[in-house]
Amino acid sequence: MIRKTIVIVNKLGMHARPATMIVKAASKYRSEFKIRKDNMEINGKSIMGVMTLAAEYGSSLELIADGVDEEYLIDEIAGLFAAKFDEE
Amino acid sequence: MKTLKGVPVSSGITIGKVQIIARPKLKIRRKNIRQEQIETELQKFEKCLQAAINEIDQLISLSENIDNRNILNTHKMILRDPEFHKNINKMVAEDLLSLEMAIKNHFSSIIEIFNNIENEYFSQRSSDFEDVAYRLLSKILDKKNDKFAELQDDVILVTENITPSEVTRVFQKKIKALCTEKGSKNSHSSIIARSMNLPTLVSITGLTDNIKNGDDVIVDANEGVLIIKPDESTMHRFRPLWEYEKQERIKLAQLVDEDCITQDGRTINLMSNIEIPAELDQVLKIRSKGIGLFRTEFLFMGHKGLPDEDEQYEIYLHIAEKLYPHPVVIRTIDVGGDKLSQILNIEHELNPNLGTRGIRISLKHIPVFKTQIRAILRANRKGNIRIMFPMISTVGEIINIKNIVQQSRGELLEEGYEFEPDIAIGAMIEIPSAAITSDSIAEECNFLSIGTNDLVQYTLAVDRDNDTVEQYYIPHHPSVLRLIKMTAENCHQHGIKVAICGEMASEKKYIPLLVGLGIDEFSVSPGRLLMVKNEIRKCKYQDVRKMAEDILHYKTYIDVYTRITAKEC
Repeated sequence: MIRKTIVIVNKLGMHARPATMIVKAASKYRSEFKIRKDNMEINGKSIMGVMTLAAEYGSSLELIADGVDEEYLIDEIAGLFAAKFDEE
Repeated sequence: MKTLKGVPVSSGITIGKVQIIARPKLKIRRKNIRQEQIETELQKFEKCLQAAINEIDQLISLSENIDNRNILNTHKMILRDPEFHKNINKMVAEDLLSLEMAIKNHFSSIIEIFNNIENEYFSQRSSDFEDVAYRLLSKILDKKNDKFAELQDDVILVTENITPSEVTRVFQKKIKALCTEKGSKNSHSSIIARSMNLPTLVSITGLTDNIKNGDDVIVDANEGVLIIKPDESTMHRFRPLWEYEKQERIKLAQLVDEDCITQDGRTINLMSNIEIPAELDQVLKIRSKGIGLFRTEFLFMGHKGLPDEDEQYEIYLHIAEKLYPHPVVIRTIDVGGDKLSQILNIEHELNPNLGTRGIRISLKHIPVFKTQIRAILRANRKGNIRIMFPMISTVGEIINIKNIVQQSRGELLEEGYEFEPDIAIGAMIEIPSAAITSDSIAEECNFLSIGTNDLVQYTLAVDRDNDTVEQYYIPHHPSVLRLIKMTAENCHQHGIKVAICGEMASEKKYIPLLVGLGIDEFSVSPGRLLMVKNEIRKCKYQDVRKMAEDILHYKTYIDVYTRITAKEC
């Protein structure tokens, strides 16, 4: 299992488009994928989960992947956050 | 008074009272199920889910707006959400809830979460879940009730969104204009609205929040604005425009049965351009003397895969039979590789307009091309079909294509199909190289058709969808006019007819000039056909030919413009 903490750096936060990108990317992998924000933990392959996190600019998230391809999954997802979802 | 902006789909100005038609409420009657119903309930879930996803795919393929496509992709993802499936399975199999009840509960609880989010940017997204829930529930409840039953005559119809079949339905009632909150310029609904020629605005942001039943409004579908509760000075400004348009419409409607002939007796064949078969009703209603351009792209767009031969054959045959004895010109597929990349494995191109598009795609994918040619040949049972090829740049392509047609014809006859084997073959002239060598191309063809949209774009090196170079897009540029003239002369020298099927053919100011340049056939959108007929009937061929001869010597497009817009030609 890998855990990685990231901070949301795109101004609009994790709205519909970034949420869609995350779910789409995560769903390619076999590992389980969860996202934690404060006391809330959701399935990172579920669009309703990711959208209801309502993660705003500056909030901190913990990405948790567990499975055979966990490293690749975390790399790709962290990459999306770092690239600000191609928004700015 | 409040003014909202919208995307104009079909021009015109009208004033009237609003009737809002909302989507029907979905009532859930069956709340619980019995143990033995679990399996059928879950099978139904899969079936309806797939139907809803297919419907969204269809909308994605028809949408040219990237934001809209992104939203629809999110909707698809909501339907495929693993937590959603888990939740529904649990509610049906363990709690014995009916499928509709389970879905309602699931989405209500999500919407509840969104309603409690304080950031407005996020809480708005609950509308996505509402949309998806509605789409899925209407599949499950098999909702077919007629939301337009209460629609009155002479109103301006306001609705959130409208499907193609609903457009046909509402235009049968006598509405004055159509305004929708969603939609896009080239959706099938919009295409039909345009062929019906009634003022239509789509994609009006904030429409349903700002308007009430019975409000007085002005729809200006020329400028793309909707004015709600206009003040007296605004009314004063629009009333004469509206009156004028009403008179024009009445006048044009009387031309339905009149011939398309100039004052001095030159007959021009006036036909319709269509994009989808649903436009046929309108084509027949205005008694169009044939279809001069039947675009076949729609067959390839709304699909998971390519349409097979029989499927294409049925559609072509239907249209040919409806129009008989008038001709139907079927153009083989003309899209950029970007649109078909998923199906045909085409690589991304930096400049699709100068890349693998039109005939180049067909010649690269011969089996796909042959399927279309075979379907067209087979449909030519009464001999009124003509076949036309887009994006021809050199005569060699036509010779090549004719071999393929010849080969397909031989195969079909051998297979025992019955059809009229002689089919007229034509090339689109829309690339300057084709216009310049139109003498050689005319020698190999039975007709040529000038596609002015692309001809202008390629001659002047200007992308017509790029607003920043708008001022360079000049259909009356002397270079374009000379290419048109050259093509017409080459056709006539080879004893064949020349047609024009671009937007230029339905612009009032260009019509006399095009007649004067020797164009034999005009093919225009059904919504504009009567206007074009009216303009042609005003021309005297001797005079417009003289005007065209003069204009061909003009040096600047400004001189051309001044002459064609002058009152007397």
